[in-house]
Amino acid sequence: MTTIDPAAVKKLVVACDAGMGSSAMLASTLKKQLAKSGIAVEHTSVQGIPADADLVLTHAGLLDRARGVAGSTPVVPFNLFLGDPAVTKVVTALQNGRPFDV
Amino acid sequence: MSAYTPTVTGTGAKATIQRFGGYLAGMVMPNIAAFIAWGLITALFIEVGWIPVDKIGGWGDFSGPGLTGIGLVGPMITYLLPLLIGFTGGKMVHGHRGGVVGAIATVGVIVGTDVPMFLGAMAIAPLTAWIVKKLDEAIAGKVKAGFEMLIDNFSAGIIGGAMAVGGLYIVGPVVESITTAAGNGVQWLVDNHLLPAASLIIEPAKVLFLNNAINHGVLTPLGAEQSAETGKSILFMLETNPGPGLGVLLAIMFFGPIALRPTAPGAIIVHFFGGIHEIYFPYILMKPQLIAATILGGATGVATAVITGAGLVASPAPGSIFAYIAMLPKGGVWGPLLAILMATIVSFVVAALLMGFGRNARAESDAEVQAELKAAEEEVAELKAESKQQRP
Repeated sequence: MTTIDPAAVKKLVVACDAGMGSSAMLASTLKKQLAKSGIAVEHTSVQGIPADADLVLTHAGLLDRARGVAGSTPVVPFNLFLGDPAVTKVVTALQNGRPFDV
Repeated sequence: MSAYTPTVTGTGAKATIQRFGGYLAGMVMPNIAAFIAWGLITALFIEVGWIPVDKIGGWGDFSGPGLTGIGLVGPMITYLLPLLIGFTGGKMVHGHRGGVVGAIATVGVIVGTDVPMFLGAMAIAPLTAWIVKKLDEAIAGKVKAGFEMLIDNFSAGIIGGAMAVGGLYIVGPVVESITTAAGNGVQWLVDNHLLPAASLIIEPAKVLFLNNAINHGVLTPLGAEQSAETGKSILFMLETNPGPGLGVLLAIMFFGPIALRPTAPGAIIVHFFGGIHEIYFPYILMKPQLIAATILGGATGVATAVITGAGLVASPAPGSIFAYIAMLPKGGVWGPLLAILMATIVSFVVAALLMGFGRNARAESDAEVQAELKAAEEEVAELKAESKQQRP
């Protein structure tokens, strides 16, 4: 378990296979939800996860590859592209500035 | 049933296939806009197009000041698209410098054959970029100050040029024979009415996130070559048909677990109109027996396309109904649309049957579904814990 301090999260990256479809969709949702928090939300392919990402979200099916690229950056897997509890947990914690475990 | 995502967390082998496929798709996908531009120009302006214009479509006998007499369609598919793929493939290996040498080498394979050289570009461009990368690493720090630019430019220029010549004489002809064999293989499947069986592989692979690898890594390049010859290709319709996924989502909406039903309409819009098929994968991973619905729906769609002689001008990417409509060839409008409709109907009926037309869902109380969600969260937490241990 790593505990994440929301204050240290400056860039949240949503990753999918191509970095064009599903990640773009989820990122645009999260961008709206996190607009007030000042956290930058980007979408990329799992291959292109940037080194300056503080937190990565990706589908559970792409977790192995995402971890391989992300290195020590925490990767949170989710299952549903709309309304996944794991994503909701991260968003709520970031909105409220509460530390959370990943 | 309690396993939320039973298989998808996967093995190293799956990740490796995903990575290799993603690599191939990664050369094509950033350039899809160019494929679409070519597809639209072809659908509209060729001799059998919607609005035939000889100067644009490059057909008939025309000439005029400043015109080369070949139109847009041929040069775009012969030169532009393979060069973009070559540049992108090189860039993935060694940045912009890799992209440049990849494009240089790609010209060699293009002129070495008379078929559009997508696969050739996908092979020679990363290889050339890799050679330059290795050379750069070997001489790093050894170049005399002031000679960096000279060495950089000439090393890349010489290697790129040499690979272009090698591509012309060696890689081009080899890849052409591979391409021809693959095309013949597909034709054999079509002739023997076996093409619908492709759904047996494609549909399960899709939900394991191999969708881009299969479609853009394999089918788009082969289809573009076929389309350049015959004006349309059925290969564009194998993976992209939104019907199977739509059928499953509709079945979830009416007969699925009660907690999931409200999520289905939003997913249907994203899937069918937005063309993001990933949205339906989790539903299948949750209820793996639904894969039978997409396989049978997909096979029905392919069979319909084979029977009606359907094909699209270029790849509908993303696989949205709007992209399908934009890529319909003149004189072949109904086949692709019928393929979507039939796939949707079959997939919906099979999925509904598998879920007992909602009887099972009523038996499953909401509490059970909540427990399932909770179990899933726990499972995810476990996986995270596992990976923690694996990490150094």
